[in-house]
Amino acid sequence: MIVAEDVGVHFRTGLFGHRVRALDGLTLEVRDGDFFALVGQNGAGKSTAMYCFLGLLRPTSGKVQLMGQSPELGARLYKNVAYLPEEPHYHLYLTVEEATRYYSSLYGKRVSDKAINDSLERLGLAQFKKLPLSKCSKGMKQKVGIAQCLIHEPQVLFLDEPTRGLDPLIVREFRETLREIHKRGATIVMNSHVLSEVEMLANRVAIIDRGKVVVQDELHNLLTLNQELYRIVFEENGVVPDYLTAVERSGHLVRALLPKARLCDFLEQVRTSGMSLHECSLKKTSLEESFFNLVKGETTLPENGAREVGDREIGVS
Amino acid sequence: MTELLKANIWADVTFYRRSKLLLAFMLVFLLLTALQSLPPLFMDSGVQSFNALQQIVADLNFFLLILAGGMGLLVISSHLRNRSLKMVFTKPCPPEVWLLSAYLSAAAMSLFLNLVVLGSGVLLSVLWRVPVRMGLVFVSAETFVVSLGLIGYLMLLATVMHPALAAIVAVIFNADLFYQFDVWTKAAIRSGNSSMALRMVERLFQGLYILLPMVYPFDKQTENIHTSLRVMRGEWKYLLFSLGYTLALSAFCYCVSLFALKRKNHI
Repeated sequence: MIVAEDVGVHFRTGLFGHRVRALDGLTLEVRDGDFFALVGQNGAGKSTAMYCFLGLLRPTSGKVQLMGQSPELGARLYKNVAYLPEEPHYHLYLTVEEATRYYSSLYGKRVSDKAINDSLERLGLAQFKKLPLSKCSKGMKQKVGIAQCLIHEPQVLFLDEPTRGLDPLIVREFRETLREIHKRGATIVMNSHVLSEVEMLANRVAIIDRGKVVVQDELHNLLTLNQELYRIVFEENGVVPDYLTAVERSGHLVRALLPKARLCDFLEQVRTSGMSLHECSLKKTSLEESFFNLVKGETTLPENGAREVGDREIGVS
Repeated sequence: MTELLKANIWADVTFYRRSKLLLAFMLVFLLLTALQSLPPLFMDSGVQSFNALQQIVADLNFFLLILAGGMGLLVISSHLRNRSLKMVFTKPCPPEVWLLSAYLSAAAMSLFLNLVVLGSGVLLSVLWRVPVRMGLVFVSAETFVVSLGLIGYLMLLATVMHPALAAIVAVIFNADLFYQFDVWTKAAIRSGNSSMALRMVERLFQGLYILLPMVYPFDKQTENIHTSLRVMRGEWKYLLFSLGYTLALSAFCYCVSLFALKRKNHI
């Protein structure tokens, strides 16, 4: 669906044209039907990557393909694409209703008044439809962006920080809508700082740091990434192995963390001593923890590995 | 294609209607014109009334030219600076269509305003009992034709440079200026100063004069029409010639603007 190969983007700034690297050999692949999240720190290159996918920015090096084609401004392939920008760079002289109608009509199809009104109604914009966008709050502009995105039931959605500035009720409804669209088979690419949201919605995630993809994989693989610990609960039988950490006792029950390397030893001990093992599960972390570990370099990745974590070939790109 | 053109033209016309800058400019000029039309109300002489009419029509047409150029400049620079084009080009609306719509919308606005000015000229003629002359139609048509070229040229400038710089280039560094410079350097060479540097400068000015677009390409031939508001049978052809020139200029400006627009990063 979307392929980026070794994409580099350099900007020139200042009087002497100082080069700033926004993307530095970014390589990733979004598959058909993915709910793909790009996460990273501010300035990591998430939005720049999205601009490249959409053809708004031409990479200095490397290649980008969207639906098998090189993305060109206003190309026909955008018939099935919708984009929600991070900043509300809209036509501010238009009213809420006019802007929704205008953006929708740019798909070359007639949009009925009912479709426009329903869309505005759903996002709670019906009473503000005559209000110029220049007088709207950021959240209202964001809702207009969402309305124009969803009106044509796109096959590919690019969302740059989609829930920024939205009220909690709309955020919830919007997430539900995204889930529905994804279930319908649409591919969604989303940039977000809200990792809990990514965890709720995405099935694949790429972590970008300083213009490079640090890791990309299925979300559930990232949540167990580099986890060397098992969470165990067992009934104490006199001996608690010394390799267990974070030992907590409550009555006869012992909760502890078991290093992955000692899993066999522990199971052997359970078998021989007749200990009653209640639970033994891989310790899950949040995406936030995985992200923090990867970006801060606290997770060790093999030097020559590929980018896919799922294949246990974790690597730095 | 038609739907896209319609949608973009509608949005651009809305932009002109709601542009406070254009509105303020229009109001100031209309106020000045209104003040200018007061004295003839107290005049009995038909000649004085005609002179006032001719002056008002000339002023209004000059104003229309500035306004047309301003529309071309603003429609491009405003969208580029607001970065709103990312909302257009991420939809199946190519820059070719968007740019054409911007040009056509400015042309449509210019046509409408020219018709209003023509109507005002006819109305004033009737009010002041001055015969309605065909020159009014010719001048309005010529102003519209010339404004088409100006719209295209200003759109090109707005695409490649900052709007303030574009306005300076259009108002100051135009063909007339370099024609004057060319005349001065030629005069200096004829008076005996034939240094290599002066000859090079003369060539440069001549080249710039040739390269830069002219506002009125046939001004010498149509000068009398503007002063007398009468058109001889053989003079209508200059309108066609002007149209040919302005369409060629617009097409050239469109192609260069399009190239520049596609090269830009719309982020």
